[in-house]
Amino acid sequence: MNAARGSTEAKNAPRVRLLRGLDRIFHAATAAFAAGILLLVGTFLAVLLSGAWPAIVRYGFGFLTGDVWDGVHNIYGALPAIVGTLLTSGLALLLAVPIALGVAIFLSDIAPPRLREPLSYVVDLTAAIPSVVLGFWAFIVVVPWMRGTVEPALASVTGGVGPFSGPALGLDILTATIVLAVMILPTIAAVSREALRAVPRIQRESALSLGATRWEATRMVALGQARSGIVGGIILGLGRALGETIAVTMVIGNIFQIPTSLLSPGQTLASQIGNNFGEVGPGIGLDALVELGVILFAITLAVNVIARLLIWRMGENGRSDPSRSRWRLRSPWALARRSRRPLGARSSTAPEPWRERVHAAAAARIVRRRTVQWVMVGLTVACVVVALLPLTSVIITAVEHGGGAVSTASFYTSEPPLECNPGPGRTCSLGGIGPAIEGTLILLGVAALFAVPVGLFAGIYLSEYGRRSRHPLARSASFLADVMTGVPTILVGVFVFVLFLQFDHNSATSALSGGLALGVLMLPIVTRATEESLKSVPNGVREAALALGFPRHRVSLRVVLGSARRAVVTGILLALSRAAGDTAALIATAGGSNFWFQGLDRPTAAITPFIFNNFSSSYSNLQEDAWGAALVLLLLMLVISLGARLATRSTGAGLDGE
Amino acid sequence: MAPKMEVKSLDAWYGSRQVLYEVSLDIPEGAVTAIIGPSGCGKSTFLRCLNRLHEETPRSRSSGAILLDGEDLYKKDVVTVRFRVGMVFQKATPFPNMSIYENVAAGLRLLGVHRRDELDEGVVDALQRAGLWEEVQENVDAPGTSLSGGQQQRLCIARALAVRPEVLLMDEPCSALDPIATNRIEGLIATLRSEYTVVIVTHNLAQARRVSDHTAFFYLGKLVEFDETAKVFENAREKLTENYVSGRFG
Repeated sequence: MNAARGSTEAKNAPRVRLLRGLDRIFHAATAAFAAGILLLVGTFLAVLLSGAWPAIVRYGFGFLTGDVWDGVHNIYGALPAIVGTLLTSGLALLLAVPIALGVAIFLSDIAPPRLREPLSYVVDLTAAIPSVVLGFWAFIVVVPWMRGTVEPALASVTGGVGPFSGPALGLDILTATIVLAVMILPTIAAVSREALRAVPRIQRESALSLGATRWEATRMVALGQARSGIVGGIILGLGRALGETIAVTMVIGNIFQIPTSLLSPGQTLASQIGNNFGEVGPGIGLDALVELGVILFAITLAVNVIARLLIWRMGENGRSDPSRSRWRLRSPWALARRSRRPLGARSSTAPEPWRERVHAAAAARIVRRRTVQWVMVGLTVACVVVALLPLTSVIITAVEHGGGAVSTASFYTSEPPLECNPGPGRTCSLGGIGPAIEGTLILLGVAALFAVPVGLFAGIYLSEYGRRSRHPLARSASFLADVMTGVPTILVGVFVFVLFLQFDHNSATSALSGGLALGVLMLPIVTRATEESLKSVPNGVREAALALGFPRHRVSLRVVLGSARRAVVTGILLALSRAAGDTAALIATAGGSNFWFQGLDRPTAAITPFIFNNFSSSYSNLQEDAWGAALVLLLLMLVISLGARLATRSTGAGLDGE
Repeated sequence: MAPKMEVKSLDAWYGSRQVLYEVSLDIPEGAVTAIIGPSGCGKSTFLRCLNRLHEETPRSRSSGAILLDGEDLYKKDVVTVRFRVGMVFQKATPFPNMSIYENVAAGLRLLGVHRRDELDEGVVDALQRAGLWEEVQENVDAPGTSLSGGQQQRLCIARALAVRPEVLLMDEPCSALDPIATNRIEGLIATLRSEYTVVIVTHNLAQARRVSDHTAFFYLGKLVEFDETAKVFENAREKLTENYVSGRFG
């Protein structure tokens, strides 16, 4: 018996050695992919800085304070763009935060339980609208409304002086602010909602048991405890607003000047880059644009790091744990209270007279507190209605203008039409977006080839090896991946473009560079989604498999990845849909074209740049085509994000910890 | 003496699952009433009905009547019910976003007490009653969560006492505590007896015996027996009760 076992062991020894070796190789390989993320971030910084270096040296600090952008005489200053960026983003926060908070409170505390989930989905869908579609909608719907109704009204109320002075153009700082507010509202609402939901029910019940109304329980306990999560969400929203390029470019008026009023056209850092990037060749003009990118990056990086630290602080289960944190937010009045005079012991007084007096007074105030409760409920409902208006309007507008185009089969297979306006005796061909669809698919293919393997293996490393070891590599890679998801996509485009310039000037605008840009954009999303999905697989599953004698790499690949595959696939799909909906990275890289695919090293058509290039076209058939493309994109995004929600919900292995 | 609370044929459900059947019970004033019974017998639900917290659970409902000083709870504003009938939970639930002081002051502020000296007085009084004052007087501005488990539970008792409820409901207040902390809270309950009506749900039979004047035994959602504690434990009318209190099941 023993001899037999010995001989089996001896026979298996080479196999065991082989598996050990494979384990080690697997560990090293996944670690290498995780290190790849650090390398990517390092390269990103190096490329941006070196690209901007000539401008940094030439203009010094004057670049920050100069207010002229003159490509003819090579005089460049960033101040108007910096002011425009801070102004639009700051005001967008002011607009979005109260409404987002109302939405979050309604969805976490007020809505009937049955409505909470579906309504949350719908609110989140607004975040899935591609910015080029949102900008298009804003250009067609919001801009005329601002010009015709809102701005004249504001001017007449304020007497045409102060922040609302000047002609009502519609294309201005104020409109850009509103569009940004629409964009960031769902982000802030979603993060705040999750933070509020993470506050345990028993905390609310404790408040209720003290005689709080539901609203008071929310305000006193839930809002207080969710504060850092909410602040994190707000800062995350701010990060998005600062870096948004396309939708802003479409409505801000694009005049490089320090705005004198909210009704004057302006420019932001991102929109200035987006507007001019395709038009300057290599040289100091390009370097100056890259330097704008460096400034934008520095601002968004700071904002995102703060947001991530605050959200991470919510801990593994999303719950606030103030005792563990160095990043505890203290309200100023809590600090002020420290100087209060010391309390002395008292002789205990009988409860009766006090109780009668105070309880009677409290009973008398109930009507008032109930009124406050109902007013708050009404306000939060109003917030939800306001938050759903843009999505509704976008869908209606897109169907109205693009419905005709998308219902013809040739729309998907033809080239874009010749520029044409119908006149007497003249009809225009509609054409289609065949090359754009083809181009987008190719770009996504390139992006996926790069981002999926790297992100997948890096994610495996972060979850399977990084978690236990708390290795600095794992922690920094995970953190940087998180921060990278907040980097403005225009900067990703600039990065890839400048990187390609070092090697081959011609392919800097090509299908390859565009695809890589989208890949860089996808990578952190795939990584984090994989990491989170794998982490949600219970440890018992791993231990059971290891106990059966499975080698580590088989456990990671077959067992863990196998049981989380739906969530992982969903994460990849969401990353692909983010990439498919992105415009800013492509206008810097893919080059744009109206023709069918001509090779990876040639510029290519794609859906989002097609919309961006034609949204303000004066040719009706091109406009209709652009709307058709917008509708196709919109439907795709809505279906993917809804599908992702449903898929992750039914497995229970949610991406956002649900 | 007239009972402080009268429960009349109370039924309660979570969704379609009925957890309380026809419970009728008079809770005597100025005494400690213990609710005992095996897990899942509905004793916590019963307690949660007494301050109408049950209705805050999604898809829950109840029927029957509960009177407080002869007035139907369901005909009063729920807020009034809750500051007259306070509650302490199984797990200590200090508000982590508030200091010790603010935790205790929270209920007072809800009642409309805003004057600084009145707040100070109420907070100190409640902390004294909960037997926590000696330990925390030096740093009432520290976070409530910085205290030990037993202290946190006494903080929650202080928080509930600060609004001077007439009835205090305690849902297994010691089940998460070590014996020393348990001992302190039991001592505390004994001192509360004179000024408050206390209803305590407990798993611990010895505890029920030590702290309570009356004991109700619940089984499968029904009230089996309710009597003076000594009688329930030594001379139960029902065989079921006798078996339970002597440790033969449960």
